[in-house]
Amino acid sequence: MTKLEAIIQPSKLDAVKEALREVGVDGMTVSEVRGHGRQKGHTEVYRGSEYTVDLLPKIKLEMVLADARVDAAVQTILRTAKTGKIGDGKIFLTRVDEAIRIRNEERGDAAL
Amino acid sequence: MSTPSSASPLAELYASGSSRIRREFEAKGDGRAAVRARADLVDAIIAKLYQELISSEPVGPKEFCLVAVGGYGRRELFPHSDIDLVFLSTDGEGLGARREAIATFVRTLWDLRLRVGHSARTLKECSQLHRDNLEFNIALLDCRHLAGDAWLFGRLRDDAILHLVGRDRDDLVRDLAEMTRQRHAKHGDTVFHLEPNLKEAPGGLRDYHVAGWLTMIAEIERGGKLTPPEELWPAAIREVAGTAFAFLAATRCFLHWRHERDDNLLTYEFQDQAAALGIGHQPGIAVAAADWMRSYFRHARTIDQLAARSLDEIAPARSSLYAMFKDWRSRLSNADFSVVRGRIFPRQPAILNDPALLLGLFEMVARHGIELSRDAERWVEEAIRHLGPEAMHFPGLWPALRRILLQPYPADALRAMHRLGLLVALFPEIRAIDCLVVRDFYHRYTVDEHSLMTIQNLQALRPAGKTPTPRQRGWEQRFSEILAELERPDLLFLCLLFHDVGKGMPAQDHVVGSLRAVEPVFERLGLEPEDRETIRFLIADHLVMSATLLRRDIFDAETIRSFAEKIGTTERLKMLTLLTYADVKAVNPEALTPWKAEMLWRLHASTTNYLNRSLDEERLHFAHAHVAKADRVVALLGDSVSAGDVNAFLEGFPRRYLETHTAEEVAAHCQMARRLPQHPVEVQVRARERSFELTVLTADRPFLFASLTGTLAAWGMNILKADAFANSAGIVLDTFRFADLFRTLELNPPEIERLKDDVIEVVGGRISVKTLMTGRLSSAALPRPKVPVPTQIRFDDSSSSHSTLLEFIAQDRPGLLYRVSSALAELGLNIEVALIDTEGEKVIDVFYLTQQGAKVSAAMQAKTEQILLSRLETGPSTSNLPSGGA
Repeated sequence: MTKLEAIIQPSKLDAVKEALREVGVDGMTVSEVRGHGRQKGHTEVYRGSEYTVDLLPKIKLEMVLADARVDAAVQTILRTAKTGKIGDGKIFLTRVDEAIRIRNEERGDAAL
Repeated sequence: MSTPSSASPLAELYASGSSRIRREFEAKGDGRAAVRARADLVDAIIAKLYQELISSEPVGPKEFCLVAVGGYGRRELFPHSDIDLVFLSTDGEGLGARREAIATFVRTLWDLRLRVGHSARTLKECSQLHRDNLEFNIALLDCRHLAGDAWLFGRLRDDAILHLVGRDRDDLVRDLAEMTRQRHAKHGDTVFHLEPNLKEAPGGLRDYHVAGWLTMIAEIERGGKLTPPEELWPAAIREVAGTAFAFLAATRCFLHWRHERDDNLLTYEFQDQAAALGIGHQPGIAVAAADWMRSYFRHARTIDQLAARSLDEIAPARSSLYAMFKDWRSRLSNADFSVVRGRIFPRQPAILNDPALLLGLFEMVARHGIELSRDAERWVEEAIRHLGPEAMHFPGLWPALRRILLQPYPADALRAMHRLGLLVALFPEIRAIDCLVVRDFYHRYTVDEHSLMTIQNLQALRPAGKTPTPRQRGWEQRFSEILAELERPDLLFLCLLFHDVGKGMPAQDHVVGSLRAVEPVFERLGLEPEDRETIRFLIADHLVMSATLLRRDIFDAETIRSFAEKIGTTERLKMLTLLTYADVKAVNPEALTPWKAEMLWRLHASTTNYLNRSLDEERLHFAHAHVAKADRVVALLGDSVSAGDVNAFLEGFPRRYLETHTAEEVAAHCQMARRLPQHPVEVQVRARERSFELTVLTADRPFLFASLTGTLAAWGMNILKADAFANSAGIVLDTFRFADLFRTLELNPPEIERLKDDVIEVVGGRISVKTLMTGRLSSAALPRPKVPVPTQIRFDDSSSSHSTLLEFIAQDRPGLLYRVSSALAELGLNIEVALIDTEGEKVIDVFYLTQQGAKVSAAMQAKTEQILLSRLETGPSTSNLPSGGA
């Protein structure tokens, strides 16, 4: 099993979610986050007040997948979240030892 | 001690008794009978146990007894409610001697799967106030003798409790009120949850009991005895409260049996089931879930009002700071209404039959944020019963409603109007969403409550004399500033009231339904065409901003450009931003996360910047595009002016000109332009609400803008807003909104003509601004600023392809705009476009400048900044004022 974390543009959430559903990935955790990578932000002025846009709003998706589904999920996110501009986000993959469904204590892929 | 011999038969007795009670409930649906029957069943079990474990004599031993308290004491034992018992003795010895028996007694009940809450107390302990366990003191009010020494119980009921209440009445009531306030706050202070908690939420069973306890406490004070509240309430209240209680009791029984535990959450699933079974209605006869919930809300509202009334009438302490504070408010009384102990009373009930005074009563609520007295509420309900349908068409309706909306507490007034039925009486369109449940994953309140909550959310942004809370210092403070800048908050509030009425209509798209429903409202209110247009725009696009910030890249310039084009003006943007803020926040308490608030504000800021910085890029060109509003202008002008003439006049004006003026205003400007050959300076002055507006149309020339600002400054007028636009033909249209600080024009209307003459003479070069200005600015002492605004000067060469933008922020002061514009003119800079705005004491001006037809050089920018700063520090120099317009 692999944990997939993707940081994407907020505007891409609907498209990514829909595309993941089409490839059979239904469950995920979605969080509203702020951060920056190489896209460092900038300073703006609004009616005389200066404000720094250093932490940009992003969406974090988290899901744990059976290994067989990981490639399809990654390709789907790459295809749907990409605009080609700085700030499109990143995908992180991590190995997961075990998954347990609390309701019936199923384990492994069956718990996903 | 071992398990008593009767345990097994008792278990059978309880099981068979419980089954019988459930069967009877399922057949008859009578919740009150079910809770009483369960109390009787438990009484029987307890009597047997008492006999076996404590005393073979039901009335023995002496100086010891068993007392039911709380819900069990009231004989209201819901299927899975706790059984609260007090083992009472005259002293500690009596309790100590029976410690083991009591432990076995309680354990046996637990073994029967009864949830027992018990305490062993002396009589003295029962007469003391337990600040850390107020629930115990309150539970004693519902005490009932179960077994043991009846004399001792009599001392508890007739001495200890009466003594406690007599001595600690104020503390008891205050703490009970505070517990109720906290409980309501935990449940969002509203009855109208889509999935309410039947016991704890406002209007729930707990509120029924709060009303009862307060009534009992008042009666102890008055009559010196413990009396069930139902015997004390007037018949009318007893009837409606009893019906509401019966509905909630039946529903709670149903929930307990379905959940098989003391779970009082009325989820969608159980709403469907209860409706299908006709719980609280006629058992076995199904009703639609939405209608069933409307019944629930109606009953919950009754109980909520009952508790509010009890807290209102009984809770205020006899002599406290609170009472003194409320009495201070009596100074707010006027000829029609008096304020007594923080509640509003009409001086005569009959005055409420006049719709103007009826609405005036709610204006008082909106103005001071204080509630109506219960008498006033009763009289309002009576007045509404006599209101005919003509009240909907009452000619003063919009001015009266508008006054309510413009006060600091409009949501308080609208809530009271809705609760009493006045809102629906005046606007039957709102009936469609009254207690309407629309189920989805996000909304937590009924549609009417959601709509009122949007207004409440904006009301909370108003300072109303309060210092901002720590939370408000964050994002809320920024939205609060936008609200303070709004020119027409009344239109935004009116829109919020109706933005979701379409959810209760057959239209598939609720926005279409709302737009359709609001048209007859416009007619009845007699709203101005431009006001109607604003509300239509807001309703039609009320979801656009949240969709943009969630589904578009708001850091992309193209997103901002296309969003800004859709919105058109900064005023509409402000309204839509606030509407979106209020709307999202009213979905549920967690819906507006700081993340979303930040995104919303950033979209607002970027769009404002775009609208202010793109004016000379976005100009009207008829060779390339068709402009619908121009057609309306042509139609208004009739045969007197051709379409070609209108287009020629509009050609080259910034697009914003059309968006910030109505077709009627543009038509008037066209007419003025046609008179220019005979009158080279066309001037119009008209009174607006709390301000005047000066419009000047003439050929462009140097020092023009400075001449106009100088003339207004010389007349002592404070410029609030101004626009300066020019078309391709070199015709300049300058509009100034100004405050007549000394009421010169208001009190002397002929002075308007003299002001117009001065403008014509100054622009025509026949009077010098210097002459008008002499002595005016130099003698004007600068008022001490409340909030110092540092001067900021910024140049921007990137936003426009042919102008340099100068953004100028400073402390407002008399003649400031004149100082700035005359300095720019002296430097040979041409003002292509000007946007002048004032927020409180802060001036925010944007000038689009050219220097000999091109952008302003870096050297000139530096010089301009230096001169502007020195002008602000030293005050105006009248020596180098232009002598006239040319």
